[in-house]
Amino acid sequence: MKAKRNLLLVIVSFLLVFSLAASPIAAQDTTTLRWSIEGITDVVSLDPARATDAQGFTVIGLLHAGLVRLNGALEVEPDLAESWVISDDGLTYTFTLREGAAFSDGSPVTAEDVVWSFTHALDPATGAWTGPYLLSNIAGSDELVAGETTELSGVTAVDERTVQITVKQPSAYFLSQLTFGPSKVVSSAAVTANPDTWDQAAVTSGAFSVQTWNRGQGLVLVPNPNYWQPASQISTLDIVFNQDSETAFQLFRTGELDIVGGAQNPLPAARVPEVRDTPDFVSTNALNVRYVAFNNLLPPFDNVLVRQALAHATDRETLANVVLDGTVTATDRIIPPGMPGSEAPVEGLAFDPALAQSLLAEAGIDPATFEVTLSYGVEGDNERIVTVLQAMWQDNLGISVTLDPLELSTFSSRLNDTYNDPANGLQAYYSVWGTIYPDPQYFLSQILQTDVGNNNGHYSNAEFDALTQEADVIPDDLARRIELYNQAEQIAVTEVGWLTLFNGQVNVLVRDCVEGVEVTGLFSAYVVPDYTALRGCPAS
Amino acid sequence: MLRLILRRFISLPFVILSVTFLTFIVSYLAPGDPILALMGNQRDPEIYARLRTLYGLDLPWYQQYGEYLGGLLQGDLGLSFRFAQRPVIELIQGGLPVSFGLGLTALSLSVLIGIPLGLVAALYHNTPAERLIMALILALYAIPSFVLIPILQWINYQVYLATGWSLPAAGWGRPEHWVMPVVVLSAASLGYIARVTRSSVREVLEQDFIRTARAKGLPERRVRWTHMFRNAALPILTVIGPAIAFLVTGAFVVESLFSIPGIGFLSVQAIQQRDYPVIQGTTVILALSVVLMNLVTDLLYSVVDPRVRLEG
Repeated sequence: MKAKRNLLLVIVSFLLVFSLAASPIAAQDTTTLRWSIEGITDVVSLDPARATDAQGFTVIGLLHAGLVRLNGALEVEPDLAESWVISDDGLTYTFTLREGAAFSDGSPVTAEDVVWSFTHALDPATGAWTGPYLLSNIAGSDELVAGETTELSGVTAVDERTVQITVKQPSAYFLSQLTFGPSKVVSSAAVTANPDTWDQAAVTSGAFSVQTWNRGQGLVLVPNPNYWQPASQISTLDIVFNQDSETAFQLFRTGELDIVGGAQNPLPAARVPEVRDTPDFVSTNALNVRYVAFNNLLPPFDNVLVRQALAHATDRETLANVVLDGTVTATDRIIPPGMPGSEAPVEGLAFDPALAQSLLAEAGIDPATFEVTLSYGVEGDNERIVTVLQAMWQDNLGISVTLDPLELSTFSSRLNDTYNDPANGLQAYYSVWGTIYPDPQYFLSQILQTDVGNNNGHYSNAEFDALTQEADVIPDDLARRIELYNQAEQIAVTEVGWLTLFNGQVNVLVRDCVEGVEVTGLFSAYVVPDYTALRGCPAS
Repeated sequence: MLRLILRRFISLPFVILSVTFLTFIVSYLAPGDPILALMGNQRDPEIYARLRTLYGLDLPWYQQYGEYLGGLLQGDLGLSFRFAQRPVIELIQGGLPVSFGLGLTALSLSVLIGIPLGLVAALYHNTPAERLIMALILALYAIPSFVLIPILQWINYQVYLATGWSLPAAGWGRPEHWVMPVVVLSAASLGYIARVTRSSVREVLEQDFIRTARAKGLPERRVRWTHMFRNAALPILTVIGPAIAFLVTGAFVVESLFSIPGIGFLSVQAIQQRDYPVIQGTTVILALSVVLMNLVTDLLYSVVDPRVRLEG
């Protein structure tokens, strides 16, 4: 008995000593964060101008800072620029760089670096598309993109800390566009010193820099102590690539990851029920919309009555709440909830089979001879959704619907054909549109103005064009812009420019010990509002 | 034997030529487009046209193929479309050692376990041991890796729940990362090799010369190792070639589902993205390795069986 008690004493004192010895380690401030990026084998590039993948932009957002950035409420806020002034005509933006702003190697971030970065993003030799696509409003961008000059006349360094950007036309969303990929600032000195390897991002302007890049596996990031908002509570941030979302889920639940899932690659839907009630599960509205678009240049979908008939024959509520088990939100408008402009109401085309049939009759179409081919890319839940649409349209209208499944790359190529050669294009297709920058312009002008690049179905309405064009160039009156966009959206909804179905949900897992990461509905889901507050989990 | 090796090496360029031509033509004719894949959902006809010109995709097919071959002759596999113009050779160099290490480990494991299993099954014909082994072998052979992987993951998770310890569910870089992929990768080829071993040994055991050897009063050990196994080994060797093909195709699934940075992983993404130069590069490398492995098998054949004189 006594021997036993002694043994107990020894054990207790051992545990006591051990816990005392261990506590200083536990009290250490630094933590690690293990972050999974799904759907890729590797990021395309860490050069902000050359990246093309949403996943890559998530990583780039951690590495490179821009003049401005988005906060968790999706508002533009200062980043490397501490302030800016917009001229009265809305054409000139003058940015003042933060005093003491420095790259991770200690060299200062200068106005020249900003000029170099924008020039690089638009330089045809870079071979990228995001710069020409998103920065086309900068004066002189066309000449640079076309290779007529090597200098970008619209961006100039006034002095060491002052950058001036001139735009072609006033734009309310220009600042918003500057928060994304190609506008990030890189060190021109680091590029010149290592032209072949600089994109491995050892020298960065953002919160982290790259310690090692294990090709095909992941990246080890360390905080950049010179960033104006240093991530001082993080020792390392491990980025892990997982092609398959299910694989990432397996790693999370055996304790090997802290953050899993993204806007493009949410948690596998089948896994949601088992994690829904855990503290790690985070779910928010995705700023995207799933829709069916029609070929507006081919009969019968050139007739607005036919498009309306299909809209009235679609029971979105059943689709969202029964078929997809409430994992998405039904919508009958274009702008997703949470996006500026979504607060102004739009009247949608309600589910009404009788009305749908009469519209079809009014259009002079005999349902028995009406055949629709609905094309879609084979991915995720798409198969289930189009099958339900097929059934709804057949049952409610008595028409015949053929499904046309296409491998993703083939699908995007067919969309391109539809744009270029509508007569031989798709008749109707199911697809998705997400948000790169949160402005109604991106959801209306960018997709449904006559002949814009994304308007594959060639929807066209002169009044819609006029309203959105007017709203696009109002620099600073958001209320007025929203009023105009709202009228435009109502036209597009009534005329079924797109037959919208539902808004997705971003479902991710963030271990509850992680602090300072906000999940948004954006293209690259995560926002860190204040890097000094970012905390990972204690090393286990 | 030298002549065989020589002939095989002479035929190599033709193999490569036909492999590159076939992959090129299939990718060229298949719908889809690397530039559209890069641009995702965004579309801008002007930027699209400019990029196609920049990447040489607007050239006629024979010119594109000709330029590719020209580069290949100088050992240049071209630049990746998707990975911002990174050299394909660099991408492959990263993945090749990983895939080979994994493949060879799996092959060794399936030979080292498969052959003894098959032997035991043959020698203990019509016993519960044989039936047990046969059931196991058939199961391993029949279960596809994409089914086996979730089963293993589930078991791994149950172990984690019970003990707090588990194998890494995916990833690369630590020794324990090898365990699950090697098990999955070797399962099918192990079943295949064991099955062939069993039937080949059974066949030899029925032969007259075995009966004669026994009748001569040879010790059973000598009958088995000198007479039986040597003769049964031939058909087993011939299946190692196809087993390697199993491993190559298995790598596509296994590497993707375990996030292993090998060639298979690289190829799958390249195909989805229509990254033609990478598809070409990985196909050439895989074709080369299969050709070389077949050569090795042929050579082994002549070593094992003195009657076989290889004329190529």
